[in-house]
Amino acid sequence: MSDDRTDPAPDGGTASQPATDEREAFEEHPLEWDEPANNDKAPEERDSVSQPAEKYDDRKLVTGQAKYTADYGERFPDLAHAAVVRSEVPHGRVTDVDTDAAEAMDDVHAVLTPWSEAVPDAKYTSAGQSYPEPSPWDMNVLNEHVRYVGDPVAAVAAEDPDTAAAAADAVDVEYEEHDHVVDPEEAFDADAPQLFAESEVENGIVGHDYERNRMAHIDGEVGDVEAALARDDVHVHETEWETIRQSHAQIEKHTTLAYTDEDDRQVVITSTQVPNHTRRQLAHLFDVPIRDIRVKKPRVGGGFGGKQAMVVEPIPMALSLATDRPVMYEASREEEFGAMRSRHPMQVRARTAVTDDGDIAAMELYALSNTGAYGSHGMTVAGNVGSKPMPLYSKVPNVRFEADIVHTNTPQTGAMRGYGAPQGTLALEGHLDEVARDLGLDPVEFRREHYMEVGDLDEIAGMMGGEGAERRIRSCGLDECVERGKEAIGWDDVDQPDEDGRHRGIGMALSAQGTGVAGDELGAAQIMMNEDGSFHLQVGGVDIGTGADTAFIQIAAEVLGCDEDDVVVKSSDTDNTPFDYGAYASSTTYISGMAVKKAAEDAKERILDWASRMLDEPVENLETADGEVYSEATGDSVTLEDVGYESVYGHDDREHILGKGTHSTEESPPPFAAQFADVTVDEETGEFEVNKLVVAVDCGVAINPGMAEGQVEGANHMSYEMAVSEGITVDGDGRAEVSDFDEYGLPSASETPPIESILVETHEPTGPFGAKSVAEVPTNTVPPAISNAVREAVGVRINEMPITAEKIRAKLDEE
Amino acid sequence: MEIQLTVNDDPTTATVGPDDDLATVLRRNGYTGVKCGCDGGVCGASKVFVDGEVVMACGVDASEADGADVRTIAALGTQDDLHPIQAAFVDHFAVQCGFCIPGMIIEAESLLAENPDPTEAEVREAIDDNRCRCTGYQKPVEAILDAADRMDGGRVAADGGARPDEEGETHE
Ligand code: FES
Ligand code: FES
Repeated sequence: MSDDRTDPAPDGGTASQPATDEREAFEEHPLEWDEPANNDKAPEERDSVSQPAEKYDDRKLVTGQAKYTADYGERFPDLAHAAVVRSEVPHGRVTDVDTDAAEAMDDVHAVLTPWSEAVPDAKYTSAGQSYPEPSPWDMNVLNEHVRYVGDPVAAVAAEDPDTAAAAADAVDVEYEEHDHVVDPEEAFDADAPQLFAESEVENGIVGHDYERNRMAHIDGEVGDVEAALARDDVHVHETEWETIRQSHAQIEKHTTLAYTDEDDRQVVITSTQVPNHTRRQLAHLFDVPIRDIRVKKPRVGGGFGGKQAMVVEPIPMALSLATDRPVMYEASREEEFGAMRSRHPMQVRARTAVTDDGDIAAMELYALSNTGAYGSHGMTVAGNVGSKPMPLYSKVPNVRFEADIVHTNTPQTGAMRGYGAPQGTLALEGHLDEVARDLGLDPVEFRREHYMEVGDLDEIAGMMGGEGAERRIRSCGLDECVERGKEAIGWDDVDQPDEDGRHRGIGMALSAQGTGVAGDELGAAQIMMNEDGSFHLQVGGVDIGTGADTAFIQIAAEVLGCDEDDVVVKSSDTDNTPFDYGAYASSTTYISGMAVKKAAEDAKERILDWASRMLDEPVENLETADGEVYSEATGDSVTLEDVGYESVYGHDDREHILGKGTHSTEESPPPFAAQFADVTVDEETGEFEVNKLVVAVDCGVAINPGMAEGQVEGANHMSYEMAVSEGITVDGDGRAEVSDFDEYGLPSASETPPIESILVETHEPTGPFGAKSVAEVPTNTVPPAISNAVREAVGVRINEMPITAEKIRAKLDEE
Repeated sequence: MEIQLTVNDDPTTATVGPDDDLATVLRRNGYTGVKCGCDGGVCGASKVFVDGEVVMACGVDASEADGADVRTIAALGTQDDLHPIQAAFVDHFAVQCGFCIPGMIIEAESLLAENPDPTEAEVREAIDDNRCRCTGYQKPVEAILDAADRMDGGRVAADGGARPDEEGETHE
């Protein structure tokens, strides 16, 4: 590849002389990071964080003792159960709701319609994001204007779930039906039915054009893509890709229990990723002061973004207010597929301008995102289609991303693990593979010429401003990910099967994500010392099954020099834990974990102060380890227990040792992944087997490597599904055709290939003990890796997910 | 109507409605280790032993379970004294949210009782109707294979060492 740094720069100067703005950028984003000494410990000095500590709730989980939301029901003898009446038409207006038959049934406590007093009529978005939400306020708790089959129009509370379901069936709804549209391209047509009148939306989003059913339009550019595409020394390559409507398919359904407590406060026990956002949104909807709402998260049976939204909470809360009873609502599995949330299905076009020797002069992605009936997470997910994968190739000088986000009369979409990156990664990594093949270049070496390395200023992440702003790359293990991945999959030594007509191929793909949302996150924690030298850690961070609580304990124990068992963690209860933005954007360990670290350091400072008096040694000589404070000078020590008792029961002076920490940052360092897929394809039938998946991930320092590996494997499993399953298909009325796991095609144990995960450790100076994120980046990579492997094996390219034998055979027949 | 059950060795009288399934009745009586992830027989979260056979409790008519001997996850081990399969799941980080885990451990226990030395393919086959969204199946399969080694055809203590078969109990 030619070194284009000597080419004329767009501003007329030469790019080899740093332009003024480049120098400014370096000052704003210095490579050197002022990292506290205690953050950069050698692996052998890490007493806790790098150890495979037992997950703190595991014994409860494996014995069935852990409490999820539904398990709280038994504590409320007068508990009522909710059921929801959902629209049967794809688009229309509710003209009448006849509740008489339902209300007349025994044991029915309330039936609510859009016009009931207990039902808020304020507009809101279900997206659990920062505030003001970068999503339009376009929905009501119960909708009069319905926009998809499944839109909630009425709700009932009854003595037991069966009665509630029967009462919901007995509610008779009349509609004035409107024309509908389910295809995102058709939704753009001038004569397509319009889903929203401008006046029906508050908090409209940039680029919205409701006459064209467009919820938002975004674009961003670095350099000048048009000029590069027009150069006469480049070839322009263009490919198109399509992704499925993937379901979160959390095994625990959306479940909420709402009641008024003895202090007249509204309590919501709920399976959520975003307790603080939910509290704020409920306060808005019900016009109740934030302080009078308590949102409490018990164990959560999986989230994956499906619970990064206030999906069901307002309904049981309204019913509880109407009936003066605790009310539990548990969505059915059919509702999960048809009326909760899903990944945005998208069409993505990739275009590059490449010279003969493989120099990429320009790179462009365009996404058409189908946000379904409402706009929650629509703009931000689409933004990440470009801003997550494209920075991987930070050395490409001209880059553009554009997206249209359109409404259709189909079920709602939302946040999902990877958050737009899986769609963009398929397009970009499939496209680059195809370009490398066209040019006869090794696909790995072709990527290596353009991908990120330490020291790069990543302007592409900042291309759309705000979220994911420009950043300096301070840790990058891509080379090692590629090398170890190649080794593990056997890249250099691929045997072909003996049987005629069967071909084996290995495909690869790279991925980058972010860690938290730059400039738009907050985590907080406090830690109090008990008199016996143990600690209570109160943290807003949200564990949805990932092991976050355990990581928090390990971080606290690492700082305090105590055993993990001596830290009791209390998380995610808005009455008792500090603020946190919630479990999303791969932020938990990085943001909330850093808050825990700061809180523990604050407490440690007080502990050392006390120990200094007790040992008569200056603080500078003191350190904590193994439950003691010891003097490095004299070897004298006191136990943390001694300090605990002395501090609260001391004769001369007393203090309850409390530490607090709050963390927010402009940084969002990318973790990286290199994915490899080994497939065998039958050229007669198109049948294929995925023999093995290997994924190597640079997550910075792995906090609890066993847990981190579990995250990587789980994410890759989900990514595999995106490559081979149909997802939630919809019929001509936009109705979800999937109602259970079998129809959905969640791959089972014998349908899932072996997954080998490799943790490549680097050191990210901005993260707690060098950590960055791990759980999202391996969600992005299996679809392009399998598409690339099939291409390698039998020479055909599948651009449209899922990859099936029929599609492969059809392409083979075309040849 | 009322039915009589023996749940984890305790005689239990339960009131059941005509449409109640066994999972609902068990949960209502405090056996909340039985989880419900679907609305009928496709996720495996509600697996229990009924008269020694693994069934999805959500698919069993409660009234037809009158007189049955039921064992739930609570019969296997306690937090202080984990069953070897439970211990292996913990040691292998095979548990994330844990919602699918009781059902998967019940199925694993049944597999190992019949086939103490399964192959990886046999383990995958055995848990084929246990859906796990978080962990995938790599670590659960490794945990079950390791549990087979720990048990080595017999009963073992929770710490993974051998335990004399003094009381002659079995696990199912
Ligand atoms: S709840 Fe019984 S199998 Fe899913
Ligand atoms: S651990 Fe969450 S579903 Fe299996």
